[in-house]
Amino acid sequence: MNDSGQNMYFSAARAVAWRYLHNLYSKPAVFIPGLVFPLFFLAAFAGGLSAVGDTPRFDYYDFTAFQFGFILIQASSLAGVFVGFSIAADFEQGMGRRLMLATSRRSAILLGYAAGAALRLIVVWVIITGVSLLAGMEVRGNGYDLAGMYMLGLLSNVVALLFSAGIAFRFRSLQAGPLMQMPVFIALFLAPVYVPQDLLTGWIEPVARVNPVTALLNGARSLMAGEPTGILLAYGVAAGMIALLGIWALRGLRKAEMAG
Amino acid sequence: MGQGARKAQPNGIEVEGLVREFKNGPRAVDGIDLTVEPGEIYGFLGPNGAGKSTTVHMLTTLLPPTAGSARVAGLDVATQGAEVRKMIGAALQEAALDPNLTGREHMKLQTALHGLPKAQRARRGDELIERVGLSDAADRRVGGYSGGMKRRLDLALALVHGPRVLFLDEPTTGLDPQSRASLWAEVTRLSVEDGVTVFLTTQYLEEADQLANRVGIIDAGRIAAEGTPAALKAEIGRPSVEVLPVDPARRPEAEEILLRFGTAVPASGEALSVRLNDGIEVLAAIVRSFDSAGIELASLGLNEPTLDDVFLAKTGRHLEGAGEADSGEMPLPEAEPAGAA
Repeated sequence: MNDSGQNMYFSAARAVAWRYLHNLYSKPAVFIPGLVFPLFFLAAFAGGLSAVGDTPRFDYYDFTAFQFGFILIQASSLAGVFVGFSIAADFEQGMGRRLMLATSRRSAILLGYAAGAALRLIVVWVIITGVSLLAGMEVRGNGYDLAGMYMLGLLSNVVALLFSAGIAFRFRSLQAGPLMQMPVFIALFLAPVYVPQDLLTGWIEPVARVNPVTALLNGARSLMAGEPTGILLAYGVAAGMIALLGIWALRGLRKAEMAG
Repeated sequence: MGQGARKAQPNGIEVEGLVREFKNGPRAVDGIDLTVEPGEIYGFLGPNGAGKSTTVHMLTTLLPPTAGSARVAGLDVATQGAEVRKMIGAALQEAALDPNLTGREHMKLQTALHGLPKAQRARRGDELIERVGLSDAADRRVGGYSGGMKRRLDLALALVHGPRVLFLDEPTTGLDPQSRASLWAEVTRLSVEDGVTVFLTTQYLEEADQLANRVGIIDAGRIAAEGTPAALKAEIGRPSVEVLPVDPARRPEAEEILLRFGTAVPASGEALSVRLNDGIEVLAAIVRSFDSAGIELASLGLNEPTLDDVFLAKTGRHLEGAGEADSGEMPLPEAEPAGAA
């Protein structure tokens, strides 16, 4: 791609991102669920289940901070899933065709949605972090640790976005919503949500051990605690999933092109 | 690919053996060949389900062809899709608009999608909004626009990047006559003044007849006929005149007069009809003949071959909705029949 091609590419991606954010702003009903879910879980887990933190061998320093790690990954992932909903809605309502016609390099469409989702995510992070701090969350990680933790959130967002975009491009209908949402929900809850991984027993223990979300969650929690462990694994897992799901999403885009 | 297809026209369209087959379905487009000259308005006429939109989707790179080749503005739609999209504008059958955006915001989005320099975007958007007569509604959300306004906005959006080839897929379906006329005027202006090649699909005979330099008639995925509207009609035959005398007793006299101008052809009911030896210019002479013979006519109809007749002759079927859009019938006012003086 030459300079002019690059300018066109990024201009198209910015346009898609702008419209995505504009619609969130003008239709709060689209934005609010992605915020309410994590806040609800924060209230339910960090508030209602705070006694879990007193469980013997529960060695994390603060139950609210422990739950924040999960809420961060969950909120970031759901924000990615909701982008899939927007893509499906656009195709269902015809806007997808406009984007396909007006964009010379169509991967710019995916990039635009991703950029929009990342900007949306910042607002979600500010709110859930603010609420958690108000709820008494203690932060032990330094600035670098926290930057690393939020970066893991961003990568979770990209992973979920690529997964749901792949489905949205293939089905081009909001009826595929459950297919985007359910696997992400299941993967999130098959990770060590309520207690550290060492305390898991029964069938959930081996499942959580191989669940890639576990690596992201453990990494985020260790960074929050200022004791980074398993960070390379967490970033490696995220990078691997992004690579695989990137192919999945781009092949989905190709299928959407083939379907007209 | 044939020699013709290799010689790429600068902003024409060349299609050879184009096929689109859907999974478990019939061939929506079944090997069509067509050429659209640069700057020409090409009317693609056919009933619902004939393959018009599928053809447009292939030519606009929205759908890959199953077989055959197509070049738009000299570029192969199958292998040079990104370059083709820079050259074309398209307003498809259902205007793809975001109800939450205003007209002006749509222009902003579209100019950015096409990568227009930032400095030009607002000016270009305003210019096109004004051209399609939407200046007053530019800052209103599109959700509140009428069908005609949406069509006009869609056309403006298709033009933001100054395309060399414009695809309009049934652009006037559902429009009132005034909106239709204004859209026709703009399409003609684009072709005549800006040299834009226009590929227009329609089910309206009148639209194809009035707008198109040449017409392709598609039926069941195949081109049934192609040519200028006049040439296609001329292929079918000369016009005919049908009269109905008020007094049935004067029928033989009326027949005698009519036969001076042409040869008898079957007519409906009690009417008399002749296929004219010459063109419609003898119509005045026919009226004068009845007038001087003092024969009052209940009706006098001129039946020029229409594109529907062409369609009928080529496919054995009438085009859907043909009657409402194009009729050569000229019923006389009942109060003042010809020869009443």
